[in-house]
Amino acid sequence: MELSDANLQTLTEYLKKTLDPDPSIRRPAEKFLESVEGNQNYPLLLLTLLEKSQDNVIKVCASVTFKNYIKRNWRIIEDEPNKICETDRIAIKGNIVHLMLSSPEQIQKQLSDAISIIGREDFPQKWPDLLTEMVNRFQSGDFHVINGVLRTAHSLFKRYRHEFKSNELWTEIKLVLDAFAQPLTNLFKATIELCSTHANDASALKVLFSSLIQIAKLFYSLNFQDLPEFFEDHMETWMTNFHSLLTLDNKLLQTDDEEEAGLLELLKSQICDNAALYAQKYDEEFQPYLPRFVTAIWNLLVTTGQEVKYDLLVSNAIQFLASVCERPHYKHLFEDQNTLTSICEKVIVPNMEFRAADEEAFEDNSEEYIRRDLEGSDIDTRRRAACDLVRGLCKFFEGPVTGIFSGYVNSMLQEYAKNPSVNWKHKDAAIYLVTSLASKAQTQKHGITQANEFVNLTEFFVNHIQPDLKSANVNEFPVLKADGIKYIMIFRNQVPKEQLLVSIPLLINHLQAESIVVHTYAAHALERLFTMRGTNNATLITAPEMAPFVEVLLTNLFKALTFPGSSENEYIMKAVMRSFSLLQEAIIPYIPSLIAQLTQKLLAVSKNPSKPHFNHYMFESICLSIRITCKANPAAVGSFEEALFMVFTEILQNDVQEFIPYVFQVMSLLLEIHKNDIPSSYMALFPHLLQPVLWERTGNIPPLVRLLQAYLEKGANTIASAAADKIPGLLGVFQKLIASKANDHQGFYLLNSIIEHMPPESVDQYRKQIFILLFQRLQNSKTTKFIKSFLVFINLYCVKYGALALQEIFDSIQPKMFGMVLEKIIIPEIQKVSGQVEKKICAVGITKILTECPPMMDTEYTKLGIWLMHTHINASVLFMFKVPSMLSTSLNAEALQYLQGYLQAASVTLL
Amino acid sequence: MIQWLEVKVRQIQTGNSVNLTAMRRQRMEVNVELRKAKKDEQILKRRNISFSSMGESLSPEQEKKNAVSTLSLEEIVQAVNGNNPELHLKATQTARRMLSRQRNPPLNQIIEAGIIPKLVEFLSRNDNVTLQFEAAWALTNIASGTSDQTRAVVEAGAVPAFVALLSSPHMHISEQSVWALGNIAGDGPMYRDSLIHNNVIPPLLALVSTSSLVFQVGFLRNITWTLSNLCRNKNPYPPLEAVRQILPVLIRLLKHEDKDILSDTCWAVSYLTDGSNDRIHVVVETGILPRLVELMASPELSVVTPALRAIGNVVTGTDEQTQMAIDAGVLTVLPQLLQHPKPTIQKEAAWTLSNIAAGPCHQIQQLITCGLLLPLVELLDKGEFKAQKEAVWAVANFTTGGTVQQVVELVQYGVLKPLLNLLSARDGKTILVILDTISNLFLAAEKLEETEKLCFLVEELGGLEKIEALQTHNNTMVYQAALGLIERYFASEVCGLSQLLPSGSMGRTVITCDL
Repeated sequence: MELSDANLQTLTEYLKKTLDPDPSIRRPAEKFLESVEGNQNYPLLLLTLLEKSQDNVIKVCASVTFKNYIKRNWRIIEDEPNKICETDRIAIKGNIVHLMLSSPEQIQKQLSDAISIIGREDFPQKWPDLLTEMVNRFQSGDFHVINGVLRTAHSLFKRYRHEFKSNELWTEIKLVLDAFAQPLTNLFKATIELCSTHANDASALKVLFSSLIQIAKLFYSLNFQDLPEFFEDHMETWMTNFHSLLTLDNKLLQTDDEEEAGLLELLKSQICDNAALYAQKYDEEFQPYLPRFVTAIWNLLVTTGQEVKYDLLVSNAIQFLASVCERPHYKHLFEDQNTLTSICEKVIVPNMEFRAADEEAFEDNSEEYIRRDLEGSDIDTRRRAACDLVRGLCKFFEGPVTGIFSGYVNSMLQEYAKNPSVNWKHKDAAIYLVTSLASKAQTQKHGITQANEFVNLTEFFVNHIQPDLKSANVNEFPVLKADGIKYIMIFRNQVPKEQLLVSIPLLINHLQAESIVVHTYAAHALERLFTMRGTNNATLITAPEMAPFVEVLLTNLFKALTFPGSSENEYIMKAVMRSFSLLQEAIIPYIPSLIAQLTQKLLAVSKNPSKPHFNHYMFESICLSIRITCKANPAAVGSFEEALFMVFTEILQNDVQEFIPYVFQVMSLLLEIHKNDIPSSYMALFPHLLQPVLWERTGNIPPLVRLLQAYLEKGANTIASAAADKIPGLLGVFQKLIASKANDHQGFYLLNSIIEHMPPESVDQYRKQIFILLFQRLQNSKTTKFIKSFLVFINLYCVKYGALALQEIFDSIQPKMFGMVLEKIIIPEIQKVSGQVEKKICAVGITKILTECPPMMDTEYTKLGIWLMHTHINASVLFMFKVPSMLSTSLNAEALQYLQGYLQAASVTLL
Repeated sequence: MIQWLEVKVRQIQTGNSVNLTAMRRQRMEVNVELRKAKKDEQILKRRNISFSSMGESLSPEQEKKNAVSTLSLEEIVQAVNGNNPELHLKATQTARRMLSRQRNPPLNQIIEAGIIPKLVEFLSRNDNVTLQFEAAWALTNIASGTSDQTRAVVEAGAVPAFVALLSSPHMHISEQSVWALGNIAGDGPMYRDSLIHNNVIPPLLALVSTSSLVFQVGFLRNITWTLSNLCRNKNPYPPLEAVRQILPVLIRLLKHEDKDILSDTCWAVSYLTDGSNDRIHVVVETGILPRLVELMASPELSVVTPALRAIGNVVTGTDEQTQMAIDAGVLTVLPQLLQHPKPTIQKEAAWTLSNIAAGPCHQIQQLITCGLLLPLVELLDKGEFKAQKEAVWAVANFTTGGTVQQVVELVQYGVLKPLLNLLSARDGKTILVILDTISNLFLAAEKLEETEKLCFLVEELGGLEKIEALQTHNNTMVYQAALGLIERYFASEVCGLSQLLPSGSMGRTVITCDL
């Protein structure tokens, strides 16, 4: 491809077509571009277009196409052809920085991305000029250019923050430091000076502050791996300026937007990060500066408002204080009672307040609210940071801090009492404060596990939590209801059981609350209470204690699922599951209605399964209903089949992939309950289960194998008589499974079931072929897992068909094969077999080989027999299996004689 | 040539089916270092600035006075190339004074003036002791510069001349030669070996044997320092023959009282032990370890640092070599060093401990018996980051090689909390080592059937939350290790009653998407 006007023209045409909404025009154009991108000069044509085209749309389009081209082709992959010719590569690297910097922003961004991609591959060795080129631009004085350079530098250097130390990496960093650190420092100082000269020029300040943010980010990347000599020598410059930037405010930089963080916030936030980096990693060197930063950051916190745009800054700043106050040698910075009081009063309490934004989330985005509040995905929130600071301070000052907060809690509760409907937020803050103060350690499963001894949790519960939950109106002050329920949930191990029992009907009642957060919390709290363990590992709350509430609990749970927004609420479904599990037989009277509601739900969600946890708990609940009912009355299995099979058929027919594995498992469960033969409804499905397409999906394999095992267990004879033509299909599944390293054990499960349950004559003709397949796999890829399964299988075979049959089938494949297998596989590997049942199968199988197989005694197999005996004894000891007693009780006289012979030869005596 | 702690592998056989690797981490020489050269490392080259053995003082005023009365560089060149012996001395002296200035000594100008061959020539002027001395001093200071500057001295043939002067009857001349040779040896392995080939060792050792009787302690310090430079540097190491010659003298010097002599001697030993196991063997077989361990407890930081370094190097060696260090009592000194006020000492002590913890479980047992667990956990909790990092390695190695019982004991000392706290460290490698350690702890818990309890502890101490957050870490290895732990040990809670539906699909395919 020449760099000609004609080619530029053609390219322009095709680029234009790639923007066409009509796929019949767009697609061929895209195809064409792809077909020519391997040609020399193609990338240069794109660069020419994005620089010189008259049409702005074409410019942008060329820049995007160029970036994608670089992304696909720049990396040179070993053993694959180089997709961009060397002269093009050199030309691109020679031009791109200049092009990027002189382009308008839209194009600049694309080119900057392209530079990062190229840099990742070529920098620094194959792009030695890049650094100098960038540094030279610092002197341009044009901050649009400078910002472009800084952004590019950031995208090149940010990987220093997460890559492991290596000689290669550090060589690169050193190179960057040598070329970049001094110019960056100069730029930093110059930019700060310009900020004061332009203190009244809003648009200039914006550009300058964008630079400062990038510079602060680069500082973080360059200082991450270790403290560079240069920055240690220039710590004074950097830290003094960082410090003064933290305290700086300029009206011109304040934004009206309440949500989006402005430049000033972003800069200060990054500076907090930088200070935290130094405090954590370079404490010794940073020590002289630290107290100043503590003061500055704390003043910053005291003066920063409640708006959402400050959230990241505030949470970073609080986290900085939290990490510092835990360190013994900085304890003195916080020790003073006035300091503590002022931190509590001005930093912690204000940041625990329930803000308008929280209220909005509570009502309109409850899912997100719950995730943050309940599951701890609140790492960056103010409340969370404040909580961490409380915990940090409590490490050294638990008594004083608790004292200060107790005063606050009391005054806030009094405010609330004066006028609840106006002041309910004060109570919310009080509860939050008590919670953060009291909880020293926490787990999902157990709630709070260590509490502050200065706080009386039960008293607070009885006086301030229960009254809210007892009020008749479940929809009043929903936030306080949610707080109260959460309190029960997390302090469930601290509050005495009788109080929990009092709370249970209250929680059940709140399942009816309209607020999603409230009824979700109620369900979750119940679920958590039901998992608590008392003595003897029994559940703390017992089924008899729940007896009075069974009906209302079940009713309210299913009713909660009908609230808008909660139709697939996983917390409620999990509570359903847990209730079934706790109540056991007590649910049987309600089963017809429960199973009807569950199948209805199943039918509804199978249209578009979107909540995996909800679905999982729903199937668990179905299984629990089946188990509990059929344990008492196995005949009930029929009514479940009746209720479920219609939905199952629909799921299978519509190929609802998410649910198919569950359906197979439920069917296995149902089939396993059947006492006698296999019902014809199952047999009708049997051929379909062998369809290869089902086995293509890995998620289907374990449940399908389990289902086929159930078929074999219950219906081997029926299969042999009525569906003998399906046996090759069954073995085909086996063959497919053992060919895969990931699924071979599943193949063996199936094979073992076939051997165990199928009438021998029905599989006779396939037996040799089975062994040949196994040997092929053994030769092609021998893994420990495969060998273990293989050993279990041949021993099972031996137990089922006898040792002689085993020896014969091996030797029929190839003479002396049995000896080889004994010597190369059984003897050296048998001890690797794990699992109780598996070990027993092997113990019995080997005993049979030793005792029932005449060739072992009188041919060249004898010496192998002696080894095998050794192995067997060793292995049997591992099996925790009493060899002597097992042998002498389970063997006939002749066999015992053989055994004695081996034992003598192996010089082993039985005790 | 700066050193840092680097990973060195050593496989140990463990009873587990999982093949775990404990690591003995040697100091590796690397070419890149971002940090400032350590202030507590030994100095490679030194200039003779403010005093001489003649007691001549060079106060700034006097310097100024001298400067007025002396020659310019051009005149010096002329003078040394002329035939006037008096001017030889005057010029050499002037040059020496310029080179001894506190600030900006004109090393390069002197070299470019081309007078070095002349100065070297003056070294052989046995007839003019003062000239010999001035030349030796001037050359000493030039050799104290950069490699190029040192090379200028060596290439002018100064080495044999200085070696010859070691045996000078004039003490101040032999002392100045010792110094000059020390600077040359300090330049690197090449010149060090060329000195050794020039037979520098016998006369040096001879000086030691007589020095303590005749000379001031200052001279002996100079000799010790030069000897230490002869032991220094790798790639290649100094010839074994030379090491064997020097070692007995080092052992004698270790009996000295002077702290500078002790310090430099310990540095020498630390260089000799900084290498492969056969290098370590040559040192430990001399029986030097008990004295080194004794010096680890010295009140002098300048002695503790190299003594600890030497012992730290020894325990990177074989199990037997490590055992010799243990028998010499290293474990009784380490507790106090782990709590040393200097973070660097804490760090090196933890590094040493980490290598002992990489040993067989009977050595780990000794570590427990000697009460190392408490200070180790303390350091992990409260130490400076660089010391914490080493403590993490110690814990990692301990949990890899220790028996279940030993691991339990470590947990009982409260290792979990500080360990989990460090998961928020800003250092990917440390995080990864901690995640591996946690997985070791779980292996032990599985054997005791206490997995659930450990899950509980990890979550209670805020570890689960941190591990979950690490699943978004930018480093793939970190992210995978975190994901692995979650999937293996923390997924079950989400699965609810999955024992009812034991098949894989519910546990894995469905549930993991939520994590």
